[in-house]
Amino acid sequence: VSGARGTIDLSRCEACLARFLPTDGPCPRCGSAKVAALSVPGVGKVLAATELHVTPPGVRSPHRLALVEVVEAVRLLAVVEGALPTRGTLVAIVKDGPVYRALAGPPPVA
Amino acid sequence: MTTHVASVGIARFGKRSEGLVELAAEAAGPALDGVGRKPIDLLVVGTMLAHGDPGPVPLLPRLAGRLGLESSSGLRVEATSATGAMAFHAAVLALESGRFSRALVVAAEKMTDRPTPEISAELTAAIHPSEVASGATMPGLAALVTQRYLERYGLTTDMIDLVSVHARRMSADNPNAQFQSPVSVDDVAASPVVALPLRRLHCAAISDGAAAVVLERGAGPSAVLGIGQGFDSLRLVDRPDLTTFAATRTAARIAYEMAKTTRKEVEVVELHDAFAPLGLVHLEDLGVCGPGEGASWFSNRWVERDGRLPVNPGGGLLGRGHPVGASGLAGIVEVALQLRGEAGARALARPPKMGLAQSMSGLGTQSFVTILGRSET
Repeated sequence: VSGARGTIDLSRCEACLARFLPTDGPCPRCGSAKVAALSVPGVGKVLAATELHVTPPGVRSPHRLALVEVVEAVRLLAVVEGALPTRGTLVAIVKDGPVYRALAGPPPVA
Repeated sequence: MTTHVASVGIARFGKRSEGLVELAAEAAGPALDGVGRKPIDLLVVGTMLAHGDPGPVPLLPRLAGRLGLESSSGLRVEATSATGAMAFHAAVLALESGRFSRALVVAAEKMTDRPTPEISAELTAAIHPSEVASGATMPGLAALVTQRYLERYGLTTDMIDLVSVHARRMSADNPNAQFQSPVSVDDVAASPVVALPLRRLHCAAISDGAAAVVLERGAGPSAVLGIGQGFDSLRLVDRPDLTTFAATRTAARIAYEMAKTTRKEVEVVELHDAFAPLGLVHLEDLGVCGPGEGASWFSNRWVERDGRLPVNPGGGLLGRGHPVGASGLAGIVEVALQLRGEAGARALARPPKMGLAQSMSGLGTQSFVTILGRSET
């Protein structure tokens, strides 16, 4: 788990220098296949958050999701652990298998 | 472009006892009658889920057999919630190639015979797998888009309630719509939460239904003036701006250019209000108004049938119901009916000469814009 060290893995395009969440394809901005790994602190700012009362099978209601910016222009969708955060809240981000989790409180020390 | 909509048909939207093939045939009937049962050389069908009992239905051969069209060529297309629009565009492109002269386009969906959680899980096909893994649903992602939009323009939730109220006022006059009664702002605000701030009456309902058109080469009423398609990333987090859909802006630009027109000549619009706030975003992306101004069009009632620009006079997705694969074609059918002066109780105060229908896959992964114009004959 990358979050164990307080970091999360991103990708950086070596052609256009865009940073983005790792994908199974080329750079989402310019289409280049030259992509390198990049590690950033596992902390971000909440841009929007919602609470689902109608949830998919196997997901308990309410289920909280947040759109979190981890570095400038790089956003991820995170499952919120705890209360629904307000916009601008800083959250710690931990990768748990395929899922990002947003934890309230002070970010983990890198 | 030298293609026109010669006739249309609708199988009433709502909870229906009929299966997918029966609904498709029901919509096709009036469309075929409308051209005097003249020969069809291309059948284009669209369905997202292709639900049968028990398994998936091969809609193209089943409908061709049902209608006696096995001797024509056929295509089946799929673009999640924009399937009906993609089917229309595919038929237009085929006719414009000169290879075909008369096409029947049928878009159908059967949804209400399955449990809602099962349907919701199938609809996540319109969401990137990494976001599905987080427990995201279409309403959940639409809620995040809504939060960003409301906050950016300093709007409150009651502004999106007006979109739902408008849709239900319009659909109350549409005998083919799922919802035959209006709702109040209080009804919308009191409906159960789906994904904050979206409530049930902000979300288009699961529905059964079908729509059909016959397209012909040559001049005729309801000419196809322009078609445009735009794409964007499936993964929502890769979009730099969640308060606008780049795919719709692209589709609109292409369609306006092809039609050699601007939005100022458009006199009626059917847009993809799968979630109420999208109605505002689409008005802006189609160039009807500037960013953040969509709400004022609803609060000032400029979208009414006698307003500056009538929007969703047939009820849109919120009022008509949303059989996902059929909705995109149903919007085009509504515009054609308005241009032909066959919209009955929901006819506009001023008969339009040009109309636009917009349909979207997922949250803007693909968007389709279709512009029709009344031919002066």
